[in-house]
Amino acid sequence: MKRTTVVLWILLAAAAAAGCSTVASTVASLPGMPASVKPALDIAQKTGEKALDAARPISATEEYYLGRGVAARILAQYPLSRNEPLTVYVNKVGQTVARHASGPQPYRGYHFAVLESAAPNSFACPGGIILITEGMIRACANEDQVAAVLAHEVAHVAHRDGVNSINQARWTEVATTAGTEIAKQYGGTLGQLVAQFEGAVDDVFKTVIVNGYSRAAEEHADLAGVAMLQQAGYNPAAMAGILEALRTRGGSGGMLGTHPDISDRLANLRGVTQPANTQAEPVRTKRFQSVVAVGRSRP
Amino acid sequence: MIGCMVRWPRLWPLLLCLWGGIMMAPTPGPAQIFKTVAAPQQLYDTPSFSGTVVGTVPEGAEVTVITASGDWYQVEYQGRQGWLPFRAFPEKKKFSLPNLLQGRAVRETRTDEVALAGKGFTPEVEADFRRQHPNLKYDQVDKIEKFAVSPADLQAFRQEGGLR
Repeated sequence: MKRTTVVLWILLAAAAAAGCSTVASTVASLPGMPASVKPALDIAQKTGEKALDAARPISATEEYYLGRGVAARILAQYPLSRNEPLTVYVNKVGQTVARHASGPQPYRGYHFAVLESAAPNSFACPGGIILITEGMIRACANEDQVAAVLAHEVAHVAHRDGVNSINQARWTEVATTAGTEIAKQYGGTLGQLVAQFEGAVDDVFKTVIVNGYSRAAEEHADLAGVAMLQQAGYNPAAMAGILEALRTRGGSGGMLGTHPDISDRLANLRGVTQPANTQAEPVRTKRFQSVVAVGRSRP
Repeated sequence: MIGCMVRWPRLWPLLLCLWGGIMMAPTPGPAQIFKTVAAPQQLYDTPSFSGTVVGTVPEGAEVTVITASGDWYQVEYQGRQGWLPFRAFPEKKKFSLPNLLQGRAVRETRTDEVALAGKGFTPEVEADFRRQHPNLKYDQVDKIEKFAVSPADLQAFRQEGGLR
């Protein structure tokens, strides 16, 4: 009899976890079923749902809100450039390479903006906001190199490198937050989620601004960026060109990252650069120079 | 042991009822129509990002779902068949034994449902976060997102630069 009861309980739990409320209710109301069956079914269902939620990946909309938080924090340090022609130009270059990114477009698409800073930097926020400093644009020799920087950052977004830097334990908490006792200590579920959101923004911000991505992520972004340049019609050699220029210039942060060493990244690119159609490159370089010249003449 | 074996037959109707109920729970039906929620999505010839892109589905487009496989949906859009990743239709995943056994159900999703799914990072969370951190530059983030280059200007820019 005991074995029969165990089998029955397992099936009841499975039915409840499966969301078969009709079957579960029917079973619970069967003659002779103990009154304790109903609470047991509820617990089984909630446990099943939580276990699956904890394992779920961050959704495209969650990534979007996370990226906005990271961008808002970066913009608190670097103001937006007031150079409208440069902003329009960067958006045109950025949208041109982003349409060749692998994988689906972010929830609200890619957005590009220029930061008012002389330091050569560029940042990719989860969800598709790409930021590049005026200093980085000036470090580029031509439009193709600007495209290379933006393609590298787009690749970080497409590969979800920012999202992957969120502490896994924190994300598990986010996914399972729902009216728990812990949540009440934060002032309810919303309070707990806001605290976790702040932690996640901090995780990504530190990766993007301070620590940099992993060696594998940087090398992947370089290679994916080269592929985007090739598909868009830019010169794929521009990726190695801007890395070389940055190495000569020195510094760190943004596209330079903190590791691996730029020499290793250049070695990673060796042999993958494909032939380019450079016929229109002079036209692109000319318009790059005219836009950058306008920026230089501004007060 | 003997007593246990004697009682088993009496339980078979109940066990069959349970199993039948589990298996008859909602599962993906053929030819369901639903809308893409995320921004333009690329349509692949196979359920893999390494597949060939055979088209693009704009945000809000209605597609006919043919079947589901893992994290991919085979769909038909404007007479063309292909595969879209599940991220095109973000939704709350419910734990479901039939779905585990037969694949996840395909449902139409809406933006508000998506935003609230799983009580993760939602507009409500962002609003509270913004209130707590007035020094963060969300106004500039909004400005960045509103900025757009017209498709005509973008096309002219690509054409002039010999780009695709």
